[in-house]
Amino acid sequence: MSEELPAEDLLARVARQDVAALSELYDRYAPRVYGLMAHILPSRDAAEEILQEVFVRLWSESPSLSQEGRSVVAWLVVTAREAAVERLRALRKNAPNVGLQGPSAKTEKGPDLGTRKSKAGVLVPSAAKSLDGKSEAMKPRPADGVKSPAMGSVPLAWLPQPKEITLIDDRLVLLHKAINQLPKPQRQALELAVFGGLRESEIAAEMGEPLGKVRSSLRAAVTFVKHRRRAVCGTWAANI
Amino acid sequence: MGCQHLEELYELWLLGALSEQGSLDLRDHLGRGCPHCLARLREATETVYLLGLASKPARPHPRVKSELLRHISRKAAPNR
Repeated sequence: MSEELPAEDLLARVARQDVAALSELYDRYAPRVYGLMAHILPSRDAAEEILQEVFVRLWSESPSLSQEGRSVVAWLVVTAREAAVERLRALRKNAPNVGLQGPSAKTEKGPDLGTRKSKAGVLVPSAAKSLDGKSEAMKPRPADGVKSPAMGSVPLAWLPQPKEITLIDDRLVLLHKAINQLPKPQRQALELAVFGGLRESEIAAEMGEPLGKVRSSLRAAVTFVKHRRRAVCGTWAANI
Repeated sequence: MGCQHLEELYELWLLGALSEQGSLDLRDHLGRGCPHCLARLREATETVYLLGLASKPARPHPRVKSELLRHISRKAAPNR
């Protein structure tokens, strides 16, 4: 049985314009990226479009990504999420009254994060369905605040190295179990940030909670996940 | 200025969830090239990656890959 080539070897080949290597990276990671796109975006077309855009961009940026020795799958996931969130925000802004049906993508294994439902007249990303199965209406609202680092422009130096991502991938089931231990309000707020592309003030409006409480929930949720990740991946001492 | 007060903000900033003021504070601080924050940002990116994987994998239609590779092959062809 042949051993799977490391993704970074494939990336180096992509940087040398090897289409077959890109095809192999696509086979390996497209389900992961598309699952994320389908979770964030309200239509299959939009999810497919962003998926393609991200891989086209990988083709263009592979030389620098390969040279820096950063994780290709981390780049894919982080870039794809940002692109999808930007698209979602644009959709909310440009079509505030259009109800969009969520995609019915065939899903595989994954943590218990619920699926998407939409209501007529509201734009509802999949994250708007809370973990206990009750859907939350996410009304479109104008974007506010300062543009956070467009992931497309996140410096490569901020990306993890492949070995750090391997630690996470090897312990993914355990890490998802840990995330599922978050108290419900914290999980809901975090989901609205991660998959709904909402800012903290928008999350507060969505949840009908005071901004200060939502801020505390988000910070507590992120700290919880970060600490669990350190503990599960055995990087705690190195990061204190 | 120290950066302990930013400790809980890196992930939320990367996620685009911070308010205007929170983003400005962090951006301002990062602009000074703080090495501690750079290390924390790397770690925060790992957490953002992990959170992104909380969605279930899904298989895109095979047409998506065909179109992608056709497009890429056209881009690659002039360089060969």
